[in-house]
Amino acid sequence: MPKIKVNGQEIEVPEKSTVIQAFKQAGVDICHYCWHPGLSIAGVCRLCMVQVEGMPKLQIACNTEVKEGMSVNNTSDVVKETVKWGLDFHLINHPLDCPICDQAGECGLQDQYMQFGSYDPEMAEPKVKKSKAVDLGPTVMLDKERCILCSRCVRFTDEVSKTNELGIFNRGDRSEIGTVQGKPLDNNYSLNTVDICPVGALTSKDFRFRQRVWYLKEADSICPGCSTGCSVKVHYNEEGVWRVKPRVNPEVNGHWMCDVGRNTYKYVNLKSRLLSGKVGKRDLWQEVSVEDAVRSAGLKLRETSPDAIAVVYTGQYTNEEYASAFKFFKEELKVKNVFHWLNNPEKVNEFDGLLFRGDRNPNTKGLENAFASFGAKGSWDNLQAGINGRKFKTVIVFGPEDQSVFPDLDEKIKMFSQAENLIWLTACANKSLDSVGGETWQIPVKTYIEKAGSFTNFQGKVQDFKAGTTIVPQALSVSEAVELMAGREINWNLRPRGVGGPKTNYAVSDRGEL
Amino acid sequence: MSLVRKPSAAASWYLPGILAGMWFTFVKMIGNILNPKKMPTLNYPEEKYEYGPRFKGNHVLTVKKDGSIRCTACMLCATACPAQCIKITAAEHDDPTVEKFPISYEIDVLRCVYCGFCEEACPVDAIRMGPEWQTAGLNGSKFAYDIQQLAYRPQLKGGVVSVLDDQERHQAGI
Ligand code: SF4
Ligand code: SF4
Ligand code: SF4
Ligand code: SF4
Ligand code: FES
Repeated sequence: MPKIKVNGQEIEVPEKSTVIQAFKQAGVDICHYCWHPGLSIAGVCRLCMVQVEGMPKLQIACNTEVKEGMSVNNTSDVVKETVKWGLDFHLINHPLDCPICDQAGECGLQDQYMQFGSYDPEMAEPKVKKSKAVDLGPTVMLDKERCILCSRCVRFTDEVSKTNELGIFNRGDRSEIGTVQGKPLDNNYSLNTVDICPVGALTSKDFRFRQRVWYLKEADSICPGCSTGCSVKVHYNEEGVWRVKPRVNPEVNGHWMCDVGRNTYKYVNLKSRLLSGKVGKRDLWQEVSVEDAVRSAGLKLRETSPDAIAVVYTGQYTNEEYASAFKFFKEELKVKNVFHWLNNPEKVNEFDGLLFRGDRNPNTKGLENAFASFGAKGSWDNLQAGINGRKFKTVIVFGPEDQSVFPDLDEKIKMFSQAENLIWLTACANKSLDSVGGETWQIPVKTYIEKAGSFTNFQGKVQDFKAGTTIVPQALSVSEAVELMAGREINWNLRPRGVGGPKTNYAVSDRGEL
Repeated sequence: MSLVRKPSAAASWYLPGILAGMWFTFVKMIGNILNPKKMPTLNYPEEKYEYGPRFKGNHVLTVKKDGSIRCTACMLCATACPAQCIKITAAEHDDPTVEKFPISYEIDVLRCVYCGFCEEACPVDAIRMGPEWQTAGLNGSKFAYDIQQLAYRPQLKGGVVSVLDDQERHQAGI
C-alpha cells in the first residue's frame, strides 16, 4: 500500500486509488463537482486541482493515481488561485438565483464558492439564457441555466441505470442537458440523478418547492419499500416527513436507491394515519384511546380459547416486534395457529438487476426466521377453512404498514372479518376496514420512521435502525401493544411528542372573536 | 409579581403633592384653551398623525409592473422572522420564466414584532413595511393578513410597484 502525503499529513492508501480518494480518506476538503465515488471519472469540471511535488503543472486529483512517496497539496496559493478562476468560469452563465433554487442550502456551488471563491465577478458579458423549467419525465425537472455540465447525471443513466436517457447537446456555452429525441427520463432510479446533481439543475417534482432544505432535519433509517433494505436518510421537520434519500452503504445499496422507495414517506404522514383506537363495526364505530382499545382487545384474546385464535403476520414489522409477539402468542396464550400473509407470492423472487426486488416487504426474511425459531407454521388454506368453518373466533392481524403494496388487501379484510372478532393493528387508516360487519378493534401502530429495531434483508443481513421522528404519538409499537394486551404496563411517560402537521398560524384560529 | 408597599410616615403627607399636580394641570389647561394651536395632542381619531414613508408599519407586498405579485416565495423572510409569523406556500407558476410564486402568503400581524427583518431579508424588494400603523379589527382572525390584504388593500391603490423588474434584469443580462 503506497504511503503518500496529503497537505503534509502522511497516510497509507490502497493500491491504484486516486488522489481525490486519498483526500477523502484523509478527511481533507477538496473542491470537486464531476467526480462521484459511484461513477466513472470524467475530469470535466477541473476544480479538483492539486499540486504534486515534482510536477511542473497542477493535476486534477480525480484522475491522478497515487504513487509511493507522492506529496500533494491543495493549499498552495497557485491551487487556490486556479480553483477560484475555475469557479469563476463555472459561474459565468450560472443564474445564481439561489433564493428560489431548491438546492440552496445543500448546494456544492454555494459551499465551494464560500470556501474557495469569494471574488468580484469580472465578466461584463450578458449571461446566456436557457430554459428554466424543463419537464424531463414523470419525476424530474431540469433547469438548464443552473447546470454546470458536470455530466454526473449523464454518466448515471449510462453506467448505473443503463437507460441512457440523458445526454449533453450543443456546443460551447450553449451546451445543455437534454433527453435523447424527447424520450422522457423515466426509470425506477431517475431520482438518483437529482441527488448527485451538485447544483439545483435537476429537481424532484415531488419535493420541488415544498420545503426549504434548512427547515429539514435528517434521520438515518432503512427503506421499508422492498426486501433489499437500502440505507436511507429521512428528511423531516415539525410538519411531517418530506423526502427520503439514499445513504451510502457499500454492502447493500452503494450510493443509490430506487424511486419506489422514495415514496415510502407518504403513508407515514398524518393525513393517511390512524390516529386513535377504534372499536366496533360498520356504522357503529367508537373512537377510544389507544390504551383502551388495545386493552379490551387483549381481554378478548385472553377470553378466547387458544385454538380459536388465529394470528396473521405480514413482513412489515421489525425482528424485535416479531420476537415479542411470537413470545406472547406462543408462550403465554399457547396459540398454535400462526400464519404468514405474503402479499405477492408470484413476484417474491423478482429482481430488476440493480436494487429493487419483487418482495415488497422489508422483513420477510426476519418473519420467516421468527417462524422457524418458534417452530410455528401455518398454511393459508387452513386459515381460510378455519374462518369459513367458524373454527377461528378471534383473528388478530399485524396488518401492513404500506397498504399500497398489498393488492389483495380489501379481499383479505373481507375474509378476516367473517370471523367473530377481528383485531387489526395498522399504521394507516383504511376504508374497507371501516366497513366490516364483525366486531373489530383497530389499533394504530408505529411506522418505520417512528420506531427503533432491525430488518433482515433478502441476504439475511440484519440492519439496525433508530427512531427518527414521531408523527402519531399515540401509536404503539407491536412490542408495546403486546405488553398491554398481556395486561401489563408500559411506560407512557417515555412517549415522544408528535408533529403538528402542516404549519398554520395557529394563534389565529385559537383567538376567535374578541 | 405583586409589589407590596409598606405605608411609611412620609407617605401620609400626600396632599401637597396632589395639590401641586392639580395646579400644574390647571395651568396647562388654561394655556391650551387660550392658545389651542400650541396644543401637542391630537383629536384622535378625527385627526391622525402621518408618519414618514420609512416608518416600519404594516407590511406591503410589492407587485410587478403587470400587477402580479413580486414575491418569489423564497421563504427568506419567513426564515429571518424572529416571531415566526410568516407562512408561505410556494407553487409552480404556469409561466416558465416565473417558476416559483407564493400561492398563499400570510402574516400574523398580532405576533409580528415589527422588527423589519423580513424587509431586509428579501432579495427582490417584495416585502416592505409601510407608514400605515392603525391596525384595528373586530375579530382575531382579521389579523392574519393574506396576499389580498398585503398587496392589494384599497389604501395601496392598486399596489406598490417593486423597484426590481425581472424583464429589465434579463435584458441587462443578469
Ligand atoms: S445551483 Fe446552487 S449556486 Fe446555483 S442557484 Fe442553485 S443554490 Fe444557487
Ligand atoms: S444537470 Fe446536474 S448532474 Fe447533470 S450535468 Fe448538469 S449539473 Fe451535472
Ligand atoms: S417585521 Fe419582523 S416579526 Fe414582523 S413579519 Fe417581519 S420579520 Fe417577522
Ligand atoms: S417576500 Fe421576499 S423574502 Fe419573503 S418569500 Fe417573498 S421574495 Fe422571499
Ligand atoms: S472532480 Fe476532478 S475534474 Fe471534476
